[in-house]
Amino acid sequence: MPIRIVTTRVEFEGVVYEQRVVMEGDEPEVWGADAELRVVGKPIPRVDGRERATGAAQYSYDMLLPGLLVTAGLRSPHPHARIARVDTARAEAAPGVRAVYTRFNTPDLVHPASGRPIFAEEVVHQGQEVAIALAETRQQAIEALRLITVEYEPLPFVVDPEAAIAPDAPRVYSERERNQISDEFPKTYERGDVAAGFAEAEVITETRFTTAANLHNSLETHGGVAQWDGHTLTLWSSTQDIFGARQQIANALKLHQNQVHVIKRYMGGGFGSKIGAGNAGIIAAWAAQKLGRPVKYMFSREEENLAAGYREPTAQSYRLGAKRDGTLTALELRSLGNLGAWGGWYPPVSLPAKEMYLCPNVRTVDTGALTNLGTFASFRAPGVVEGISGLEVALDDLARALHMDPLALRRKNYAPHYQVLDQPYAVKTLLTAYDQAAERIDWASRDAEERRYPRGRASTLRRGVGMASQLWGGDGGPPAQAIAKVLPDGSAVIMTGTQDIGTGTRTVLSQIASEELGIPMSAIRVELGETEFGVFSPASGGSMTLASVGPAVRMAALAARREMLEIISHLAEAPVDALDVREGVIVNRETGKDMDSIGSYLSLLEGHEVTARGMRGPNADGVIVRTFGVQFAEVEVDIATGVTRVLRIVAAHDCGRIVNPLTFSSQIEGGIIQGLGMALFEQRIVDERLGVSVNPNLGDYKVPTIRDIPQIEIISVGAANELANTIGALGAGEPPIIPTAGAIANAVAHAIGRPVTGLPLTPDRVLALLNDH
Amino acid sequence: MPDQTAGRHADTPANEQAAWRRSARLTINGADYTVDVETRATLLDTLRDELGLTGAKLGCDMGQCGACTVLVDGAPMYGCLLLTIEQEGRAITTIEGLAAAGELDPIQRVMIEQDALQCGFCTSGQALAMKALFDHEPHPSDEEIDRALAGNLCRCGAYVKLRAAARSLAGR
Amino acid sequence: MRAFEHRAVSSAEEAVAALQSDTAGASCLIAGGADLLSLMKADLAAPTRIIDLKPAHALRGVTLAPDGSTRIGALTTLAEIERHAALAERLPILPAAVRDAATPQLRNMATVGGNLMQRNRCWYFRGPYDCWLKGGQQCFARDGQNKYSAIFDDGPCVAVHPSDLAPALLALEATVEVVGPAGQRALTLPALISAPTAARRRETTLPANEVIVAINIPAQPAGARGVYLKLMDRQAWAYALVSAAAQMTLVDGRVARARLALGGVANAPRRAQAAEALLEGQSLTPELAALAAERAVEGVQPLAHNGYKVQMARELARRAILEAAGMQW
Repeated sequence: MPIRIVTTRVEFEGVVYEQRVVMEGDEPEVWGADAELRVVGKPIPRVDGRERATGAAQYSYDMLLPGLLVTAGLRSPHPHARIARVDTARAEAAPGVRAVYTRFNTPDLVHPASGRPIFAEEVVHQGQEVAIALAETRQQAIEALRLITVEYEPLPFVVDPEAAIAPDAPRVYSERERNQISDEFPKTYERGDVAAGFAEAEVITETRFTTAANLHNSLETHGGVAQWDGHTLTLWSSTQDIFGARQQIANALKLHQNQVHVIKRYMGGGFGSKIGAGNAGIIAAWAAQKLGRPVKYMFSREEENLAAGYREPTAQSYRLGAKRDGTLTALELRSLGNLGAWGGWYPPVSLPAKEMYLCPNVRTVDTGALTNLGTFASFRAPGVVEGISGLEVALDDLARALHMDPLALRRKNYAPHYQVLDQPYAVKTLLTAYDQAAERIDWASRDAEERRYPRGRASTLRRGVGMASQLWGGDGGPPAQAIAKVLPDGSAVIMTGTQDIGTGTRTVLSQIASEELGIPMSAIRVELGETEFGVFSPASGGSMTLASVGPAVRMAALAARREMLEIISHLAEAPVDALDVREGVIVNRETGKDMDSIGSYLSLLEGHEVTARGMRGPNADGVIVRTFGVQFAEVEVDIATGVTRVLRIVAAHDCGRIVNPLTFSSQIEGGIIQGLGMALFEQRIVDERLGVSVNPNLGDYKVPTIRDIPQIEIISVGAANELANTIGALGAGEPPIIPTAGAIANAVAHAIGRPVTGLPLTPDRVLALLNDH
Repeated sequence: MPDQTAGRHADTPANEQAAWRRSARLTINGADYTVDVETRATLLDTLRDELGLTGAKLGCDMGQCGACTVLVDGAPMYGCLLLTIEQEGRAITTIEGLAAAGELDPIQRVMIEQDALQCGFCTSGQALAMKALFDHEPHPSDEEIDRALAGNLCRCGAYVKLRAAARSLAGR
Repeated sequence: MRAFEHRAVSSAEEAVAALQSDTAGASCLIAGGADLLSLMKADLAAPTRIIDLKPAHALRGVTLAPDGSTRIGALTTLAEIERHAALAERLPILPAAVRDAATPQLRNMATVGGNLMQRNRCWYFRGPYDCWLKGGQQCFARDGQNKYSAIFDDGPCVAVHPSDLAPALLALEATVEVVGPAGQRALTLPALISAPTAARRRETTLPANEVIVAINIPAQPAGARGVYLKLMDRQAWAYALVSAAAQMTLVDGRVARARLALGGVANAPRRAQAAEALLEGQSLTPELAALAAERAVEGVQPLAHNGYKVQMARELARRAILEAAGMQW
């Protein structure tokens, strides 16, 4: 097949990258909205449900290997300090302890992303690595930490982002002149004439809104198990990105990539925080090599919550100018993100301000502050969740000032095209989503007395309804590859290098393969999560997986089907055009009669496996592919106690073709539930005097329980997005979390009749809003 | 902040170490096991690291997540807060014991059908919490379902489907 | 968790003897173990010997005496209280109090004795901070992150007692029966759980060689009704931000006896005696309940981040009074 090199645009986590990719062959025609599909589009239970429901699924943490050593980490209690001395003698002598490592005996251990030593002389945040102990058992390793004595020389620190960017602030890194993530910052985007836009405005509102640091708290922490076999390393890593992990490990340990085999068959959640191998994976691989024994290092919950990232807290200041009829004339956003000690990038908090609503005059200024806190990490729609929350609250503030219905204000400023590049959207069904969801929640009666005061005005209960819009990418892109094999007995194997991080990837890929191969799902096995298969797939993040890998699987399956039918046409002495395959049986198109099973033909051959490759093609030029949606929330606030309950969420989303309505709705519900946590409870709490987080655990950092969950109703607005990719499907992982917190915040504001100024809306915050006259 | 790293307590002399281990007879999923463990070993560590029963997960090690839920004499408890040696004479059920002889328990079957699991890390605990509920009350109300599952966090948010699975099992 | 020696005892007396024989005083009782193991994992407790009280079966169970008094064995689990039909009939405040405590798993494990003896949940106490209660110089919460801390200032420490059961037992005027080397004695709940002092940096007063045997609850007046209300920042698996336990007896619309206790507001569950005094002898009206609730929070000294608790406590006290009297709030 001829090879081409194609330059294409791929969006990941809200940031657009131009990348060069290899294409081989041509992709099939897109499955249009009216394509008749037998398996795709059906609510099929997960193909690996049994493994997950019986405890048989092996997570990284579950790897039990002979001679396994277990690692425990000692971490800095200080936000900024120099490690002057570490005494490990007692720990090394403790029962079962095989090694203790600190900065003094790990000269070659460098973090691949930052280029800094993992065990640094100067720790720049609470929870940074100081030492690790490796022992025969977990208890012994943990106990060894207590026997290590560290002499810290505390240094000045700063944890407040506002204070951090002041000229005289203590610096996180002494060699840097400012506590900003890069010289690009503060970063300004501007279009139109903002001053003129405000001059033209008849109403101007200002909104200041804060979002908290949300900890991912994946139930499985970061880490992995490393085992060497001669010069080859196998790392069972809890990662969303096995190829990225392979590259990081190879770089960190100065190995060829072919010496590193990364496996991740099952993972207990990542939500964006597990891109790459992580320090734990690197440490485990390094220590296993050093000690000649397999090594496990999985973070404790506390390590996870101090050193594995969080959604960066933001302070957002909006200034909106509008005509009396609601037409936006100017929009200004200043965002300040607290990115912690490293950062690397600043998530697109300002993306919604630039794009969500039609406005000719826009200025956004983003400031990414470095502070002496652990480094943030991508968290399910990073930036955009925070940005939509702030923008949508600001829109409601404007609606109140205009005495205008909030939904009518959104419709008034509907953006029909992508304003940043002045390009069309491939598909935008948001107005339909507004219509359908508004009707379902009965938006029209939101101000009705009996709805707002369900037990009368004398009661302390108030109800409110609010909404927020959603936008996000999710169209994926190359590179992503797959191999389809049909074995002599007519069963099939699909091999890709992607990961199933709990979203149901194995299942939807099996559906796509079954659709094209004509082989029932029960006879298809999807192998993924292993770099050794050699077919590259991207990180499972950015709602990329289905829209990237799905088309590659489809192309591979289609090619395998073609080859299979060609072979069978020779064996059956029938023209290939006359052959079809259904449910694993060859069918004569002309007579409509069943012939024989695939296996009965292929087994006539001497061990031939049909093998074909597929690739995700380039993205369409000149058009912007987006997922859009809207959520409406109904809440009940007890104004005497500040306690808020979410009663109901109606979510209408367009994610293109829905390959599996069952796993799709699970994604939507899961996103909403995390958004609800962000809206009502979730916040890292920092003691600014000490520069430390005081709640790095699941007791004091509260995520939703089943009792907090409202009624959730999902409306799928879309159909196959024919410009997105050959399966017409977009990602659904991130879209649902984006509008939830904003919708809840606006519903609370409606209920209490006061603007809200930040998240989470804990009882103390709600009471403060109510008491603030 | 004061330096806490030196440790607050003296170490116990090595000659007491014999008293720190004990053999314990456990009944797990109907089978008897004898393990030689430290007195401080938690049931969760013993199940996972000594017996290879890794269905119960270590999510927080502090009784704050529920992923280590096992049944002790039919009652759900957190394996990370139980001492192994105190479990003698009690019947332990782990997720591995729920699908007897390879046949899925109706709870597991319905959880799969209803997609009441995502990443699956909390699923063992959820299934066992549900098992205890239905053993006690075959037709629980919605509130009873929520209360019975309130001690098992699911970060993926499979709660809606968990409710649906439980309702289906309750005959609704 | 550090290593320890483990032994089981089959009676409270045997436990006392075992504690007594430990001259170093490094022994510790274990019952449900939920709190003790958490403390040991955080190295906040480091016993060299653990004495397992669970085999002392006589300490388990609820006895409803014909005279109206009730005895709850120290090893009775919270789950048993939650499900005890006859207890729910006689003292509905108790199942109400434990119903939203922790989780089903923890209620299956946790015992009544352990629930009273559990340590506080202040994050500075639980974390790696040398706080006053642990022998340090300062209370970090007092000027730090204190949204969950006490609004009544009873001493250097501002941690609240986390039990849901304790405020209900206080409203019932329960006593705690303990045995020690000198035999048996009874303590009132305030005598057991009280503000730590410089001489006793601990939330409870029980000497290390005494063992809780049972909770004794006196007969309640005929027609007494009790409620327990709890506010949390999520709807399950959270300690009370504020809780209110009310046990009220009304005769012909007049308050014959009122007992009101608040949780989450002080080092120990707090009886609102001024409120009780205001209520008793009066005919109960919503206005009187509001006035009494105001009394219940008299003397508060909220910290920087917990002022909201004052409003919550006042409101919850008002609601508990009215609800226990069978009135709408």
